[in-house]
Amino acid sequence: MNRRHLLALIVTLPLAAGSSRFSPAAPLDKVMAKGVLRIAVYRDNPPWSWRAEGKLIGIDVDIGRALAEKLGVKPEFMELTADENMDDDLRNAVWKGSILGEPVADVMMHVPHDREFGLRNDMAVLTAPYHRESFALACDPARTDCRGTLVDMAGSAIAVETDSVPDFYLTGAFGGRLRGDVVHHLTPAAALVDLTEGTAGAAMATLAQVERGLAGKAKGLVIRRGPFPGLLKQGWDIGLAVKTDSRDLGYRLEDVMAGLLADGRIAGIFADHGISHMPPGA
Amino acid sequence: MKRILLATCAMLGLAAATPAFAAGPTDADLMNDAASTGDVLTYGMGPQAQRYSPLKTLNTENVAKLVPAFSFSFGGEKQRGQESQPIVHDGTIYVTGSYSRIWAVDSRTGEEKWQYDARLPDGIMPCCDVINRGAAIYGDKVYFGTLDAKLIALNKETGKVIWSKKMADYEAGYSFTAAPMIVDGKIITGNSGGEFGIVGKVEARDANTGELIWSRPTIEGHIGQLNGKDSTMTGKLNASWQGDMWKQGGGATWLGGTYDPETKLIYMGTGNPAPWNSHLRPGDNLYTSSTLAIDPATGEIKWHFQTTPHDGWDFDGVNEFIPFDLKKDGKVVKAGAKADRNGFFFVLDRTNGKFLSATPFVSKITWAKGFDKKGRPIYDPANRPGNPMEAAQGDTKGKSVFSAPSFLGGKNWMPMAYSQDTGLFYVPANEWGMDIWNEAINYKKGAAYLGAGFTIKPLYEDHIGVLRAIDPATGEIKWEYKNKAPLWGGVLTTAGNLVFTGTPEGYLKAFDARTGQEVWKFNTGSGIVGSPITWEQDGEQFVAVVSGWGGAVPLWGGEVAKSIQHINQGGSLWVFKLPKA
Repeated sequence: MNRRHLLALIVTLPLAAGSSRFSPAAPLDKVMAKGVLRIAVYRDNPPWSWRAEGKLIGIDVDIGRALAEKLGVKPEFMELTADENMDDDLRNAVWKGSILGEPVADVMMHVPHDREFGLRNDMAVLTAPYHRESFALACDPARTDCRGTLVDMAGSAIAVETDSVPDFYLTGAFGGRLRGDVVHHLTPAAALVDLTEGTAGAAMATLAQVERGLAGKAKGLVIRRGPFPGLLKQGWDIGLAVKTDSRDLGYRLEDVMAGLLADGRIAGIFADHGISHMPPGA
Repeated sequence: MKRILLATCAMLGLAAATPAFAAGPTDADLMNDAASTGDVLTYGMGPQAQRYSPLKTLNTENVAKLVPAFSFSFGGEKQRGQESQPIVHDGTIYVTGSYSRIWAVDSRTGEEKWQYDARLPDGIMPCCDVINRGAAIYGDKVYFGTLDAKLIALNKETGKVIWSKKMADYEAGYSFTAAPMIVDGKIITGNSGGEFGIVGKVEARDANTGELIWSRPTIEGHIGQLNGKDSTMTGKLNASWQGDMWKQGGGATWLGGTYDPETKLIYMGTGNPAPWNSHLRPGDNLYTSSTLAIDPATGEIKWHFQTTPHDGWDFDGVNEFIPFDLKKDGKVVKAGAKADRNGFFFVLDRTNGKFLSATPFVSKITWAKGFDKKGRPIYDPANRPGNPMEAAQGDTKGKSVFSAPSFLGGKNWMPMAYSQDTGLFYVPANEWGMDIWNEAINYKKGAAYLGAGFTIKPLYEDHIGVLRAIDPATGEIKWEYKNKAPLWGGVLTTAGNLVFTGTPEGYLKAFDARTGQEVWKFNTGSGIVGSPITWEQDGEQFVAVVSGWGGAVPLWGGEVAKSIQHINQGGSLWVFKLPKA
């Protein structure tokens, strides 16, 4: 036993003796000593993390489990309600905790790797990207064809999630000529239902949301992954975030994630959920 | 006869110390609250919410001697965001606190009678701190709303739950922070929640059972409810919205309303439209950023006035509309006034919503040059945040503009007061602006989205808050008091020629209502963001306020944070009176 581990033991003993309700973000040694990695995932966010028949499932949940397994500790999930933006989510999940008193997690899943976003959130460290997200437009060519010039889709309903990038893109682009055709829903899943049930000719969301929405119902439908002229954000990497004082944990998770990406485990998790895995940085 | 018999029974019950049968305030008592000096039964000290007391025992001559009678700590670790106004009835103060808590306190000794803590679920996400603005009282019940969007009726003697109604889905981001209002046996509430995907509504429930009587959506195209059936459509479908954007158009009614027994109308303010980028939603976007006059019997909208048509700056229109009698040119007009987020002080005819005047109550307004005779804003198009779709190639955001007031408003939630003696309104204002742009990319729930970007900036180095006395007949500012930190608490005025308000620095202050001269102050140990009240008890005049820093200001940071960074958290009720001679 080296000195570092001894130190970790001394530090964690009072923790173990105390209430298990309070588990502050712990750098690597503390995580190893307590044997638990507390992982923040979004509530109600399929196909990434949601509850089905009471059980927490999804791609982010499976990746979180794989990370914990490789560290040799148990995963413990913190379900996070999305706040108004992800700057708030980082504060609630990673570095401060919510004003309602819920403690922070050791690591948060599904955090965009964006330079400006990372710079202004200097209490968090973004690390270990594992997927590249992008948008996709799905349509039923019999009703409206989304393969050609987009503005030609005018006159047929296009379903989107309210206040999403696809919403603002389709209501704002082309001089607003599609605005009257855009149908708004509170979730991307509901928007895809419009397409599969035939009340809309097209629907636009992230590629993962589109693939999930069309699972088993994609017959005769077309998915356009691009190009989307004038779309301000074509894609972004997602990865992990840890608190700024937990860099050693971040480095270790980065190594573990690189291994999971290299040995095909991540791609396998995506395949299990029927979602295309896009390597980060692509 | 039966009624008298019942009352006798109730009194006997009291004498026998079975308080569960004690009678409580009636509809008539609530409507008379502004005139009755021995109690405070409504949020706003009267349904009109003038926050005016005819009491004169305490006045500019003797207020310097005002001292604490007692202080009551809310206890626990939940020391933040006390935006409440206490209620006083029959020797008891009912006061709500942050995190959906309420106490009954002996109004003579400060001793606790009971406490009720709502059990809050995981995953609630109140937008702007964990606050609550106060309770309502009616008959044997006190009512308050919770952060998980429930309305709870408690036995006023025991604090035991009589009923609890889910008003909205907290998992969809709804919460409830306003004080409920009671009109003709109905409990009237608005709704509050996140910025996105919601539609404002006003609802009336049977105050005894909590059953819904009517519901009135605030966005045109939505259908109202009356007695379990569809009633009428709000406005006209697609008259001021394109496509189906009205479906999630915003317009939350999160601050609640006022009521005028003379016109028999509820006045309710509505929030800003969604989405933020106004270029995506051409049209006035009715009835967002408006005041609505609603019939309490049916929920029908009798008139509306939109203070910020086609809002592009997040100028919520929720602020209180206070009925008052305007004396102008030898005539008396049934008027109402509202100090809006957008920096203008509006005076309307409260019988029909007719525009009478709009005058600035802050020193700088950029979005509009003024209002025309019909009550339409004269926009300054250069000061609307640009359309990101028209940004130069490679630019990631729309044109940024400097806008004053900031989206936190010339006045935010904190209620103003109107003195029937001086004829002046006392408005807690703030002097700040913002750089605002329609942002290209931010992130929400793991995905890219387009929001608005903003940076709030104080306009002056030495102050943000300004308490202003405004003559509603002319818009003239009669006096002002400048405060370093933003003002975030309510105002009270009395016939003793006094104006009270609290400051984030912790002081409850009193001013001469005619001159603005500061005549008394007391530091409560934490920032004041609640609303003071006054009442008479055993021949003495009492003043009460809650103390406990919080609310939206400390959540925003930036340059504003410099004026508030040393303020400590807290949570207590303070009660003051003059020492006995």
